[in-house]
Amino acid sequence: MRFILVFSLLFFSFCSHAQKYTVSGTMKDATNGEDMFGAVIKVKELDNVGTTTNAYGFYSLTLDSGEYTFIYRSTGFQTQEIKINLVNDIRKDIELMLPKDVLQIEEMKVSAEKENDNITSSGMNVTKFDPKSIETIPVLFGEKDIMKTLQLTPGVKTAGEGNSGFFVRGGGADQNLILLDEAPVYNASHLLGFFSVFNSDAIKDVSLYKSGIPAEYGGRASSVVDVKMRDGNNKKFGASGGLGLISSRLTLEAPIVKDKGSFIISGRRSYADLFLKLSRKDDLKDVQLFFYDLNAKANYRISKKDRIFLSGYFGRDKFQLGEDFGFSWGNATGTLRWNHLINDKFFSNTTVIRSTFDYEFSIGNGDDAFGIRSSIKDWNVKQDFTYYLNNNNTLKFGVNAIHHTFKPGALTGNNESFNEIVLQSRYALELGAYIQNEMKIGTRFNVMYGLRYSGFNYMGDGTDYQFDTDGNEIGSKNYNAWESIKYYQGLEPRFSASYIISEKNSIKASYNRNYQYLHQLSNSTSSNPTDNWVPSSSNVKPQIADQVALGYYQNLKKNVYQISGEVYYKALANQIDYRNGAELILNDQVEGELVYGTGRAYGFEFLLEKKKGKFTGWLSYTLSRSLRTFADINDGKEFSARQDRIHDISIVMMYRINKALVLSGTWVYYTGDAITFPSGKYEVNGTFIPYYTERNGYRMPDYHRMDLGLTWYMKDRKKFEHNLNISIYNLYARENAYTITFEEDPDDPTKTQAVQTTLFKLIPSITYNFKLK
Amino acid sequence: MKTLFYILTVIALSVSCQKVIDVDLNETNPKIVIEANYTAEDSTVRLRLSLTTSYFEPISTSSLNGATVTITDANGVVTPLTGIGSGDYILANYIPAFNTSYRMTVLHDGEIYNTTSKLSNIVTLKPITYEYSPGFFGLGEGYFCYQNYDDPIGVSNFYIAVISKNGYERSKVTDFILGDDRLTDGNSVSRPLFIDSLFVIGDTIDIELRSIDEKIFKYYSEIQTIAGAGQATAAPSNPIAIWDNGALGYFSAYGNSRETVVIL
Repeated sequence: MRFILVFSLLFFSFCSHAQKYTVSGTMKDATNGEDMFGAVIKVKELDNVGTTTNAYGFYSLTLDSGEYTFIYRSTGFQTQEIKINLVNDIRKDIELMLPKDVLQIEEMKVSAEKENDNITSSGMNVTKFDPKSIETIPVLFGEKDIMKTLQLTPGVKTAGEGNSGFFVRGGGADQNLILLDEAPVYNASHLLGFFSVFNSDAIKDVSLYKSGIPAEYGGRASSVVDVKMRDGNNKKFGASGGLGLISSRLTLEAPIVKDKGSFIISGRRSYADLFLKLSRKDDLKDVQLFFYDLNAKANYRISKKDRIFLSGYFGRDKFQLGEDFGFSWGNATGTLRWNHLINDKFFSNTTVIRSTFDYEFSIGNGDDAFGIRSSIKDWNVKQDFTYYLNNNNTLKFGVNAIHHTFKPGALTGNNESFNEIVLQSRYALELGAYIQNEMKIGTRFNVMYGLRYSGFNYMGDGTDYQFDTDGNEIGSKNYNAWESIKYYQGLEPRFSASYIISEKNSIKASYNRNYQYLHQLSNSTSSNPTDNWVPSSSNVKPQIADQVALGYYQNLKKNVYQISGEVYYKALANQIDYRNGAELILNDQVEGELVYGTGRAYGFEFLLEKKKGKFTGWLSYTLSRSLRTFADINDGKEFSARQDRIHDISIVMMYRINKALVLSGTWVYYTGDAITFPSGKYEVNGTFIPYYTERNGYRMPDYHRMDLGLTWYMKDRKKFEHNLNISIYNLYARENAYTITFEEDPDDPTKTQAVQTTLFKLIPSITYNFKLK
Repeated sequence: MKTLFYILTVIALSVSCQKVIDVDLNETNPKIVIEANYTAEDSTVRLRLSLTTSYFEPISTSSLNGATVTITDANGVVTPLTGIGSGDYILANYIPAFNTSYRMTVLHDGEIYNTTSKLSNIVTLKPITYEYSPGFFGLGEGYFCYQNYDDPIGVSNFYIAVISKNGYERSKVTDFILGDDRLTDGNSVSRPLFIDSLFVIGDTIDIELRSIDEKIFKYYSEIQTIAGAGQATAAPSNPIAIWDNGALGYFSAYGNSRETVVIL
């Protein structure tokens, strides 16, 4: 109730006297008509007056009548200034030009005035990348991956060597909400995590929110990664693609009707298994192992006020061993959106989303064949509004409902030995409603405050089990379809504020609470497609994260250098771990295998970034801890989470040697993962068994690695541009530990030894990219 | 299924390399380890007492003698085991009563350790069958053997299959083939068995099918994971405690059934 009061007070407290008019419109990239998200509109004559474009390139700014100079700006584009005499509401659609050539980029960047949006924007810094800006960064097997670039920023830690999974500020890998055109992606990786499902060619940009998460996002505890697909060129036909060691890509895009609508289709297919054909081992020749991705999107402007978007993603991994064994898994998402401009201040977006993930084993053939299948399927509807009340207040509000269907596993087939087993499906309805205001107070103070209500209805039909403290079943109850088994709800306050000390520095603070109602069960070190998602239920409570963060931002040398420092503290409730020897697959009573505890994470993050000039890049340092406490683990004493890496350093450097050549390098260093090693051993049936005393009481060796890349932009032709990228992963062949196992010495069975496995030592790769202009 | 991930990883990363490294491990106070089996087949109870040792040291030879060890049947009749040195205790000619529980008690150095194990009814093996395979992943051409048995309906059964090839018994815990009837209750089960290679013509295969209790099945499953037979877990820990009072080890009362086949 108190919140409503505060809200009403804030909304009714502004009164206006002078006649006001609105400038609104969309901002686009002039070369291909793509909407610009997060582009900046400023008014030269007024301090701290401006706005940014929303995800569909729309902006709206309401000012007193008068003559103003509007500055339209987006990173990597030529800034436009337009004088407007504001005496009525006007519509102004803007298209920004790309710089004419690379040398102009340098001049433009250096001369651009007041590029200090990082200082003046409200809210904590959003980490935002577009694939273009990172295309020269060297990566494993030359496979550009925006998820791996995110891992080079402060507070984001890789899930392991070469892995596209990540941990944000001490949270688990399942605590990141990964959205592709608003559709949640449940398993964002290919090939056990070595590649993400995001094909860079189809991606417009990626935004990562690690604190001060806006109220429009909900459902995960630690972070939001919002990936937006490109809309496709609405000016003319375009084709681009690339050939790499692991995969090849092809993208086609074209207008449906020029400047009114466009489509894009982008495909990627890996061919790692072709290497196996060259193998000397005969049995490897029958192996199929590949993945593919298909991204498709179309948009069309029906009227000046209405626009529709249809986008989809289909990706699959396939692993086949002769005829006897098959394993495949994949995500599919579909998003249908309708943008509607109610008036020049009131923007509406309606979305319907289908999101699925499934995996499937097929074993044997003929009469003995059987298979195991599991899936999660969502229907998701969203209604979001943005109301540009006046130049000091931008209001966002909306509602969201997701219907989840979990099919945890089914074993079917005609093999006589096995009973058909179909675990009961689980159903849930996840609800959300939010309201948020972005508010400017005076010329120096920006606040964003919002509230999200989330509810989760765990429903039948199905049997709900109760367990004792040791995880043994003590009772069960049957429920009918749509009958509520358990209802959870929570209020999630979101708040962030920034104070602009001067044009060069500012401080920002934020608080957010997030509820997470879905949980991913994984008790292995790699990311497996069989890591099932389970809903909150009568046994599993929703995870809750509370985070406070404080940051200081400073720009130096005319905004050429940006420095920031942030501290945070995060408290995690209802965290999940597993009983010893937990059976997570094909287990109807999997909830009995879980134990619950709490966690906390805190840290300091430093970022030094150089954004302009021939030499660009950043240095990121994170000092952090991530700890967990479970009554049933480690005698109830607090222990380090696996991702409790105390020091984490990333250095990224890109140097433009000349028009044609860009040299880039990265260096990463982090404290070894917390891990459990044996402190003794004993014998069972003649086998040595390690004896453990504490959870995660040891450390893997520290990890460090340098990668180098050289991109050669070959001679530009009018209609065609192409480049060649050569990169070396792990340049100085550091033998980083992927696993350390303890085992019998094969030469002397009376002895035991520790064996370290290293995955990648000096992996060179080459990729060729082309684009028809 | 677990080994699959291992295979997948290895294929995906045929570039990996391994080396033996030095790891500095903590020292802990030695803990007592009690390994006990009651084998119905020869009506003998065997128990061994030992201590944990530092990980890189040779296993402790400081066997624990002088303990008082007893077994108690379902009627409460207590029978002592006899110490024969080297930490071993034995009781022969102890007649089994199937489908009843036995209690084992160890008194050592003022501490008492207890546990129970149920001697399950024996599930009898049917004759072993075999089938030619032109080659399966990682294994050259040869023969699969099938262990065949009728799983009793309506009760949970837990099994260990121990394979011997040409007289060599694969009795290490990591070589045990564990089975339960979670997916096969009441069925006529035919389960393929193979070791690191398929069998060839002339091989003599013995299968011993032990009928064990649920606790021991869980214990061995966890032991296999810990000993590295399974996939690496994110957070390994000690197996479920079979004994009270913090002792490691287990007590298993079991009966068995054997079959032999020569591949022709």
